[in-house]
Amino acid sequence: MKNNTLITLFTLSFLVLSCDNSTGPDLEPLVVQLAEDVIADPAVIGPDGRPTGSGRYTLYSLSENKLILSSEETDPAVRQADSASTKWDIGFNATTIIINGGTSGPGAGVAQVLTQAFQDVVSAPATGYVADGSNQNCPGIQTPAGSFPGAPYAICTGSGNGWYNYDSNGPLITPIAGRTIVVRTAAGQNYAKVRILSYYKGSPADPDPLADESRYYTFEYVLQTDGTTNLSIE
Amino acid sequence: MRRFFASPHIFLLILLISTPLPSQYEVVAGILRSSSSTRSEFLVSLPVSPIARIESEVDTLFYTSKKQVVVTATRNEKALEDLAVPTTVITRRILQENGSSRLNEALLTIPGLTLFEDHGAGIQMQGFSPEYTLILLDGEPVIGRNAGTLDLRRLTLEGVERIEIVQGPTSSLYGSEALAGVVNLITASPNQGWNGALGMRYGTHQTSDLTGEMSYGGWKGGLRLLVNQNRSEGYDLTPTQFGMTSPAFIDYTVDLRANLTFGERGKMKLGVRLGMEDQAGTFAIKGPAGEKRYHDTGTRNEWSLHPEFGYRIGERIKLTTTLYGSSFTTDVLQKEKSTSEILYEDRFEQQYYKTEQKITVLWNSGHLSIAGGGWIQEKLAGDRYGSDETEDLIATSGTFGVDIPSVSNPVATQWFTYLQHEWIPGKKFEANLSGRLDAHSDYEHRFSPKLSVLYRFSDRFRIRGSIGTGFKAPAFRQLYLSFSNSIAGYSVFGSTTLQKGLQRLVDQGQIELLMVDFYTLEAIQAEHSIASNIGFTLEPFSELKTRSLIVNVNLFYNDVYDLIETQPVAQKTNGQFVYGYFNLAEIYTRGVSADIRWGYSPSSTLPLGLSRIEIQTGYQFLQAHDQQVLRDIDRGIVFGRAMNGQDYRISKTEYSGLFGRSKHMATSRLTLYNESKGASISLQGRWRGKYGYRDRDGNGFANRPDEFVPAHAVWDLTFNKDHRITESVAAQFVFGSRNLASRTYPSQIPSLSGRQLYASVKIRM
Repeated sequence: MKNNTLITLFTLSFLVLSCDNSTGPDLEPLVVQLAEDVIADPAVIGPDGRPTGSGRYTLYSLSENKLILSSEETDPAVRQADSASTKWDIGFNATTIIINGGTSGPGAGVAQVLTQAFQDVVSAPATGYVADGSNQNCPGIQTPAGSFPGAPYAICTGSGNGWYNYDSNGPLITPIAGRTIVVRTAAGQNYAKVRILSYYKGSPADPDPLADESRYYTFEYVLQTDGTTNLSIE
Repeated sequence: MRRFFASPHIFLLILLISTPLPSQYEVVAGILRSSSSTRSEFLVSLPVSPIARIESEVDTLFYTSKKQVVVTATRNEKALEDLAVPTTVITRRILQENGSSRLNEALLTIPGLTLFEDHGAGIQMQGFSPEYTLILLDGEPVIGRNAGTLDLRRLTLEGVERIEIVQGPTSSLYGSEALAGVVNLITASPNQGWNGALGMRYGTHQTSDLTGEMSYGGWKGGLRLLVNQNRSEGYDLTPTQFGMTSPAFIDYTVDLRANLTFGERGKMKLGVRLGMEDQAGTFAIKGPAGEKRYHDTGTRNEWSLHPEFGYRIGERIKLTTTLYGSSFTTDVLQKEKSTSEILYEDRFEQQYYKTEQKITVLWNSGHLSIAGGGWIQEKLAGDRYGSDETEDLIATSGTFGVDIPSVSNPVATQWFTYLQHEWIPGKKFEANLSGRLDAHSDYEHRFSPKLSVLYRFSDRFRIRGSIGTGFKAPAFRQLYLSFSNSIAGYSVFGSTTLQKGLQRLVDQGQIELLMVDFYTLEAIQAEHSIASNIGFTLEPFSELKTRSLIVNVNLFYNDVYDLIETQPVAQKTNGQFVYGYFNLAEIYTRGVSADIRWGYSPSSTLPLGLSRIEIQTGYQFLQAHDQQVLRDIDRGIVFGRAMNGQDYRISKTEYSGLFGRSKHMATSRLTLYNESKGASISLQGRWRGKYGYRDRDGNGFANRPDEFVPAHAVWDLTFNKDHRITESVAAQFVFGSRNLASRTYPSQIPSLSGRQLYASVKIRM
């Protein structure tokens, strides 16, 4: 609800600004788009009493702001067809986020996580992107014997390494403030900035780890479709 | 070591060492010259009959008396004003005037101390959570902690003569846990002849406290037996939701203290304590499928036995042998309300045995040494401890922790030795150097030194400085845990069980990825600190009878190293991790506490027959920070998500530090006395500035308004009246109210119930 209001505000402010702005009539207005409750393989209680996921990914298109393949889809043929396409840009399974490219898909998608507030990322950086499978900079899993290499996803996995923090007392997954994911889409031309807002169904303001279902992403993003790196919404 | 030289402590150390020695030594031959009576007390206490000792017992009015005796700070009797470390004493009189019946209530009144609720009512001292404060009963440790907290509600104040609180690390005398400080409950000695007392107290939440006491004191010794029952029906601050905020309980304490003098030189003391508690509560767990309701019952059984033998050789040497044994057992059972299906069951058992030999040598008027050593054995039994089969049983049972027998009992042994030397070259200057070595079977040896000095500019002004180290042994779970969560599928091992546990998981083919070579793991270290305390006491009217003013100020700085946290050591085939405990984090706490006490006893009584007025006010400024967070803030990678959804970079000044720490805290107390009528009325307030209690934006500390408990004050009012019924029978009435304004924060401070009223009567004969 809050985020809808935000978008309305952003849109309104843009309309107001565009009235004053007579010099750039060609620019398409950039808006913050919202994706709500994107399913990401919710865990079910297995025969051993243990909540487990299926391991299937949900695939999502930023260009269309729509679900391409749900983690609930079990037909291998459908899954194979969609996974092997460049229709999707970003994928989700539990806390892991994949980008269509590298080891994850046939696309030209790459990404990086910026330590910068979402609103402050006004243009996509020129460098620094990596494809899934080739990220050598993921913080390792810290062990007493030293750092153990993390999985080489473009968006590093593990608490505190990528987009979330894990609090074992909840247990609760909380998006880290000030982390902005910048993605190049599967088609390889456009950039988008993404901010994860919630990992729980309904995006509750105060998630209760026992009552609220996890593995449902709510995120906002700004997609630049003109091929430039401009990501400013003002 | 390099860290140490880079720290602020080094400046204090240099300052302490370079303190100018007094130019004029004033030593009176034969008798130690000191501003207090404690040295002569040392000399006469043993050879003279217990009567003399009882009669020489100091006035407990610690505001006016110059001779409040403290034993905790130096393991020897010493006047409060002669101590070089920040020390507070709560006397029987203050306990009575505050209407305190359990230890947690009493400690709250001390400036800078605040309640820290985590699996029980613990105390926060110098910004440390409860596991870093050692709790003693007549000098011996009270055992039985749950998640690090020793529930102070277990300890009745009946039979307690005074509570001594030493702030700052005292591991150089007491070893583990004395990192933030030490709280020592001193029981009262029996008075002369046969005495009895009966106390009754009743109040809100059907809380009652009943005490029966019988004592006998004679020429050769004394004996006191005390029985206390404390109960409450509990309370519920959120009646619209199922589940009690605080459970109903009934608690019993039986306490026996005896002392006997034999011959000219020998003395024996005995302390026996039994404690029992039954608890019953309810709670609900909300799940996606709705709410499930549970009964929660718990029992606690504990005992301690504390014989002590003192023997004097000549005029200057005293030998003390202490034996101490204690046992603590808890059982917890949580059952679904209608089906009685067991959700959780846990049994925990701890035993502690100690033998200690101490020698006190008064070399001459200016030098006093104490040396001691001993041996400790601790035994544990619990569903989650041990190793070997326990873990597999848990892993294969449907819900964790159900019907798991205790199959292994970790046993730890430890020896220790300590030495303290007090040097009192004259009446202006005193120094105390102490050190202790603790060698434990399951973590690395620790040596804890401490140096403290006192300098008296005059009777009205003295300064204190101390620098020392403290440590806390790894908690039992950090040493001995062997636990697999069958729901989530992860495993956690203590440092002693890790190698075996991991090996077994490997053998069973449960390990996908091994991240450490577990044969090369180093032994875990105790968490340890270096701390400085520097302060002064100002008594401008020290010679006046009608007016007294005491100003105490203390600055403290604690650097804490090697805090123990979990780290993954392997990944299982189910994708979950295996965790071990390792020395990782660093924090510091620093601040200043100040306390002003003002007393006025006019020569002629005031209106309403008021004969004395006392006002006390205290304040503490505190910062408790995690060094890693500060480094991350420096790197600019720490953000918050504001209430409007925008992210913003956090600066050092916006960092609120560890949860549960108020930057500002204050206490105040106003007491009016009508001494001729034996009446007093006391108003006490405690104010806490806002403090963080949860994190909602993933940065690990509080920065948004909804992550803080707001600043608030709690007021208590107590009315006391003594009434002499006959020559030998006296009654004491107390009426009081806790939390006068009925302030509550149900979800944030469940331990703060609404307004409570109570009345009590105690009859002594």
